[in-house]
Amino acid sequence: MKHTMKHTMKHIADFLAPPSGRRTVAAAGIGLLAGLALIACVSDEPLRAWLILLSGAMPELRQGADGGWHWQRLVRFGTVLEDTVNLTLLGLAVLIPFRARQFALGADGQLFLGALAGAVVGLAWPGPGWMALPLAAIAALLAGGLLGGATGVLKWRYGANEMVVSLMLNLIAIECYRLAITRWLRDPDAGFPATPFLPPAASFTPWIPDTGVGPMLLAAPLAVLAVALLLGRTTLGYEIRVSGAAPAFALQAGLPVGRATVLSMALGGALAGLAGFHIGHAVLGRLPVDLAPGLGFEGLLVALLARHQPRAILGAAFFYAWLRAGGQAMERGSDVSREIALVVQALVIVLVMAERWPWPRRWLFWRAA
Amino acid sequence: MTLALVILAVLAVLRAATPILYAALGGLLSELSGKINVALEGLMLVAAFTGVIAAIHPPAGLPPALLPWWGLLAGLAAALLLALLLAVLHLECGADLIVAGIALNLLAAGLTVFLLAELAGDKGSTARFATPALPALHVPGLERWPTLDLLFNGEGGRGHHLLVLGGPLIALLAWLFLAHTRAGAWLRAAGENPAAAHAAGIPVRRMHYLALLGSGLLAGLGGIYLSMGYLTLFQADMTAGRGFLALAAVFVGRRSLAGVCGAALLFGAAGVLATRLGGLALAGALPPQLFAMLPPAITIAVLALPGWRRAHLDKPPRKLA
Repeated sequence: MKHTMKHTMKHIADFLAPPSGRRTVAAAGIGLLAGLALIACVSDEPLRAWLILLSGAMPELRQGADGGWHWQRLVRFGTVLEDTVNLTLLGLAVLIPFRARQFALGADGQLFLGALAGAVVGLAWPGPGWMALPLAAIAALLAGGLLGGATGVLKWRYGANEMVVSLMLNLIAIECYRLAITRWLRDPDAGFPATPFLPPAASFTPWIPDTGVGPMLLAAPLAVLAVALLLGRTTLGYEIRVSGAAPAFALQAGLPVGRATVLSMALGGALAGLAGFHIGHAVLGRLPVDLAPGLGFEGLLVALLARHQPRAILGAAFFYAWLRAGGQAMERGSDVSREIALVVQALVIVLVMAERWPWPRRWLFWRAA
Repeated sequence: MTLALVILAVLAVLRAATPILYAALGGLLSELSGKINVALEGLMLVAAFTGVIAAIHPPAGLPPALLPWWGLLAGLAAALLLALLLAVLHLECGADLIVAGIALNLLAAGLTVFLLAELAGDKGSTARFATPALPALHVPGLERWPTLDLLFNGEGGRGHHLLVLGGPLIALLAWLFLAHTRAGAWLRAAGENPAAAHAAGIPVRRMHYLALLGSGLLAGLGGIYLSMGYLTLFQADMTAGRGFLALAAVFVGRRSLAGVCGAALLFGAAGVLATRLGGLALAGALPPQLFAMLPPAITIAVLALPGWRRAHLDKPPRKLA
């Protein structure tokens, strides 16, 4: 009994913190220290700025004037949770095609089209209110999925490199989004080009006031679970993994490699579209024309940090969302700009990617070839 | 008059194609050695940024005439450093080359914006500072033949930027290197079949380093041209996907030098076409976003064209790379 108990504990420990995960945590620590070094190069008070970067996202429990305790900075923590949902969905969106060794970088464009499709349905739906949200979500999933699937078809049928195609489709999708919002969906009463606010039936009630943290928070763990099950427990997931790990073998064995390729990108695209739905319907409530591109690439970083393991995505997304919010707090509270968060994120990835550290042996005894 | 317009258009295409050409030549070099370099975009960006920043903050006592050259040197050094990081990560630390390249692109994007904000005090660009451009080469004594003058000296007789003229030259050098030197043959052999090359005594790993560092250098030249020639400032994300266009040029050109040069020119022409069309009066009736979609749409079409033709000749699809 004791023996089994120990084993179970070990299994749980390994699931939560696999050996590769421990290395990832170490890499995150080193990356943060490198961030401190970089801040020290440019800042007058590096340590303070760095501490804000680390702790800026944390909500505070403070005693108010009336003697009661209140949470402070909950809105900022709310953005951490919003970003966690975004980055989880985007990380998964990148992860699925990567498992098929398809380096599709189209999450950005899929997010924009998903947000657009969701908003169009949310604004135009004439029927009963309870259907507005599910329909908008489906529209977003479809829009992202179609764009991702198009990348897959171009790759599989016509051999067009998916990296370049997806980046080009990003540009096209973002222009489509801007065109639709400035030309057709623009709210004449808004001071800037943006859609009207989505009707209450097509938006979520936030759990934390003044934030977008609501029922969509549950979408993150559910999506992780779904993708983990898909990859680990279904035929399609197996086909995707084998097509990625050993394409020649998969073809030889008669696996539908083409279908797995296209579907991996379509499923990834659908999740990125869902992230767009989350941004439009849960976070912003309307779509501004200057929605910042680039979030899709942060999703890419999340997928890399999680080493393409679905179960690690949630933690990686939270870590990066935390750093994002900390970076914003640091920009307001010190002389360091928030882009340091991006640098630290990318540095951590560089450290995580290395499979081995061969020096100093090889460098001391240098041999060619 | 029509001839003059044609010449002007050709020159505009050449200018737009130059950064893509340099990066594409770099991409070709690494691709031929069997190591695809996905980080071209980041390499260009880092070189463009470092060149401008170094020229704005030169070491004391540097004569102003040398400023752009100092920037060029610094930019190339930065690109080399990033390429070295990629090479070490892949060849020594066993990182996946494509994943590492993508990650380094993101690192370059973040690092340049961060340092831009810190060193130039502006997250958008270095427009507040005057950036010295690399000189243009002026061919004297052509004033009597306006057409020739236009061809060789450009609009207003200012001459062509050194790096625009350097593009074809570098392409020629690349051809000489790949086709007519021992190192070039070794490099291609390392790409064709590394195990056989190794067995034949070719230093394969050294060839891979050479190819990746060389592609860093070439992409760096492309980046430098962007910030110290095409424009004379650095903007956040100023490469705007040109590194990936260069990668596309390598695929479209089917790994042949002439093909890659042609593809780079094509992508340059697509960019010029989009800006010209967008600038025309036509844009009043049609939304400008439509024209911005043109270059990426052309790129996708060009990438898919060979496969589309193959599919319609009923040959089996190519194996997954």
